[in-house]
Amino acid sequence: MDEPRNPALPGVEAALGGATAPHDATSVLEAARLVLERDMTLALRRRGQLVQPLAFFAIVTMLFPLAISPELARLREVAAGVLWVAALLASLLALEFLFRDDAYDGTLEQYALSGQPLTGLMFAKTAAHWLLTGLPLALMAPLAALSLGAPSESLPGIVASVAVGTVALSLIGSIGAALTLGIRRSGVLLALLTLPLSLPVLIFGARASELAIHGESYVAPLELLAALAVLGITLAPLASAAAVRISLE
Amino acid sequence: MREFLAMGGYAAFLWPSYAVTLGVAILNVVWARRSLARAVAAARLRLAAGGADS
Amino acid sequence: MSWTWFHRLGSPPHIYRLAEQLTPWFAWPAAALILAALYGGLVLAPPDYQQGDGFRIIYVHAPAAWMSLMVYTTMAVAAAVALIWRMKVAHAVAASCAPIGASFTVAALVTGSLWGEPMWGTWWEWDPRLTSELILLFLYLGYMGLRGAIEDPQRADRTSAVLAVVGIVNVPIIHYSVTWWNSLHQAPSVMRLGKPQLSMPMLWPLLMMLLGFTLFFVAVLLVRLRGEILVRERSASWIREVVET
Repeated sequence: MDEPRNPALPGVEAALGGATAPHDATSVLEAARLVLERDMTLALRRRGQLVQPLAFFAIVTMLFPLAISPELARLREVAAGVLWVAALLASLLALEFLFRDDAYDGTLEQYALSGQPLTGLMFAKTAAHWLLTGLPLALMAPLAALSLGAPSESLPGIVASVAVGTVALSLIGSIGAALTLGIRRSGVLLALLTLPLSLPVLIFGARASELAIHGESYVAPLELLAALAVLGITLAPLASAAAVRISLE
Repeated sequence: MREFLAMGGYAAFLWPSYAVTLGVAILNVVWARRSLARAVAAARLRLAAGGADS
Repeated sequence: MSWTWFHRLGSPPHIYRLAEQLTPWFAWPAAALILAALYGGLVLAPPDYQQGDGFRIIYVHAPAAWMSLMVYTTMAVAAAVALIWRMKVAHAVAASCAPIGASFTVAALVTGSLWGEPMWGTWWEWDPRLTSELILLFLYLGYMGLRGAIEDPQRADRTSAVLAVVGIVNVPIIHYSVTWWNSLHQAPSVMRLGKPQLSMPMLWPLLMMLLGFTLFFVAVLLVRLRGEILVRERSASWIREVVET
């Protein structure tokens, strides 16, 4: 059986001079690093695709002033909620990219067979996903917030809450994405599965942003958000790995 | 009796609630029995058609 | 300690026969308890000093809500057992639970709303309990949707089992966050889905209802379970004798 080479990264082999695929790696950390690098490199080659969730976020944000009122005073009342619903939906949309390509070209199967703990590799993929979608959303959030009448003093709080919240969302979302692997046209089902599980993140995240907009301390909900993220980091990769294995049987 | 049915003025809310809950309970019984009957019928068909496959 | 009894539980023909025999032992007591509780709740119990006869909705709302949560928990536990010990019977139990739980969740929502109207003046309030029930309904629908979307029955079983376990871990978190959210917006005490002070004559019918519905759940589950086992046991020879009698 010939060594399966990672077809997408021909130059990496020479550059690293060592393991290029998880099954070559000597430790799970190295394997995870490789998976992360691969996902980032591949995604950055298709920048158009990366921008889509952000554009969606912007469009959804824009829907609300058009649907409600252009008055910033009124918008400020609902800004936190609108921002968060938009971020939640955008991150939901971005979930499709998490496993789809790897499932199609057999890479997921290689990961499962690599002998490395699949949980670690799932964590790496989700981390890449957050870096590529959640973090950019967090950085874009100030623009959306300002457009909805939020004061500039609230921006750090908003960025913090969206950044931490999207970590949890990526993790929760990875479970849904793994469960619906291979189901055709699973977009709505994915949303139906992921949204109820994401509600706590929405509640705490929107609350943190709301407090920030009113100039109050947002530490409490932010800490709860962080707790959810940590819980997600511990448990979500286990569930996604289990789901991926089942789909590969 | 009329007093009982009137339920102190809450009849319009109370009786529908009871109807819905007991209705759901009965629905569950009917539904469960039907699904069992369907499974038995399907099993019979399979046995008649090809015998047990191993 | 011999674990034979546990592994016997995994044997489909054994479970099938056991389910068949046990069903009446749960069904009849359930019916008796529910009827007695109905009499106790509607006739014997005195009206509440605050809500009058309206509080009697609790005798159907509370069991429905209890069922919705208990059934989900059973489903998740069965799913976990199925994943860990790879028991097909446990998958069959989980599959049997879903429609029962979902229908009672709808009943809980409807009765909750009906209870709320005279108390709050509106047909719906984002009361923490009703909101949690609504979310639970979505969890059930997601589970059933996932099962339905996967063609391979074994994959459907195992994938939905993972979802059920993930769901049950989330239920307390969701409930906590919804309660927290609700308390922020200082809902006045009237908003909370009326919990009347229950004296003994009002309490015992409620407890009987809860017990009666629990037994009812087991009875219905046993019936559904038989069908689910048959569907999963395509090739077994024991089916012949069971099905042809």
